[in-house]
Amino acid sequence: MGRKILTTILASAILLTFLFFGMLSVGQAWFYPGILPQRFSLQSWQELLVGQSELQEGLLLSLVLGVGVAILSTLSGFVISKEISRAKYKNRWLLLAYWPFVLSPVVLAILVQRFFLLTGMSGEVIGVLLGQLILAFPFAVIFFQSFWSHEVLQLEEQSQTLGAPAAYTLQNVLLPLAKPLLLICFFQTFLISWFEYGLTQFIGLGKVKTLTILVFKYVNEANIFHAALASLLIMLPPALLLWLNKKFIFRGI
Amino acid sequence: MLTIQNLHKAYHSQNVLDQVSLELPQGQVLAVLGRSGCGKTTLLKTAAGLLQPDAGSIKWAGESMDLVPPREREMVYLFQEPLLFPHLSVFENIAYGLRVRKVKEAEVQQKVEHLLQELELQEHAQKKPSQLSGGQRQRVAFGRAIIFLPRVLLLDEPFASLDAQTRATMQKLFLRLARKYNITALFVTHDVKEALLTGDRFAYMAAGKIKIYTSREAFIEDPATGVRDELAFWNSIDQKITPLP
Repeated sequence: MGRKILTTILASAILLTFLFFGMLSVGQAWFYPGILPQRFSLQSWQELLVGQSELQEGLLLSLVLGVGVAILSTLSGFVISKEISRAKYKNRWLLLAYWPFVLSPVVLAILVQRFFLLTGMSGEVIGVLLGQLILAFPFAVIFFQSFWSHEVLQLEEQSQTLGAPAAYTLQNVLLPLAKPLLLICFFQTFLISWFEYGLTQFIGLGKVKTLTILVFKYVNEANIFHAALASLLIMLPPALLLWLNKKFIFRGI
Repeated sequence: MLTIQNLHKAYHSQNVLDQVSLELPQGQVLAVLGRSGCGKTTLLKTAAGLLQPDAGSIKWAGESMDLVPPREREMVYLFQEPLLFPHLSVFENIAYGLRVRKVKEAEVQQKVEHLLQELELQEHAQKKPSQLSGGQRQRVAFGRAIIFLPRVLLLDEPFASLDAQTRATMQKLFLRLARKYNITALFVTHDVKEALLTGDRFAYMAAGKIKIYTSREAFIEDPATGVRDELAFWNSIDQKITPLP
């Protein structure tokens, strides 16, 4: 009984947020003291799905950046993490990987901004991609440390002595073993990019308008209906993650 | 013939292998007895090419192996724990070395099925390693190592984690297959009985140095090996439990 109530409360908390933003995204002219907006229209959704709107571009840009950051950081994190796990001064390298998380993203952005200005990458998508990698790549490196255990390294050695070249071992032993972790890391680093605001704003100079940047922009403009639609889109990937993992999440309640 | 000459390896100025030399003719098993930390594992890993020696050379049939990478040495290192690929079935684990060598499917099927019979694992062919007992896992690891008939098997206390009964079964199985497939092997163990059972030749290792014996008797007679002490112990037990007339 208690479990059912808890599950209902948790599911409601998630669903109500979507319902509220969904209602706002189709609303128009909402004035105090009205409980609901005075009119409803699908105009914002039409702009998003059909026309060439700022929101549509923001959505596509966020998707491209998210997928790019996720692929680059997951693959490079997997490889570099292995090298670190075998390195003589493993802990020193790991300390470096923790460095971006010790500083806040905004402080980090101030520190690296000069580099992006000098290289002409400020205000460019490539600059924002590299900026987001400063956070996502060390995350992936730390994440994969748990995979490169003594046993996995020994399995790699075993494969070598059985005659397998490095590429064969990677394809037939290491990647199948790491598959669940690779998927989790991909999704997590995608979300790092998806929600990133500080570095994106600082390096993008407001010209690279990702969904997160647009939400803040719309909120500042008091454009609550567009802000609601943008927020709804931002919440979709984590909602998808929740949906895919629902049996693990709700099982523990 | 496997020839190791003046192999030397040190970690932080501590000698782990100190001028190790040995010769092992094809088809013979050299049992290397030694306590933990004597350098046995380093010797095997260096022979497999997984560790680089500081000095010395390793040759097979007169050909230097020093610059040959592990995957081309055809010297399979068997870990103390049976390290099976957890995502592959028993069949695919055993077939691994054949698949690496791109052997034709029909030949893979025939060889693996034959070896599964030899190892008495036919009914476990499609199981995953996690569904097997320790002894069964070790048999799979052994089968995977010998299926493509490598030049040398490097066994690092392969039965140490097994219970006494399974261990005895595995020792017999190793002996039978070693004879049948004419296996050349360096068998490292800290168990006197196991060394005597499995070896054609004998060596004793301590503090990175190796001593090769000319015969089984010489190995038994040397007080350093502890064989005589062990025999004396079992004799004394035997006398204690033998009822008085």
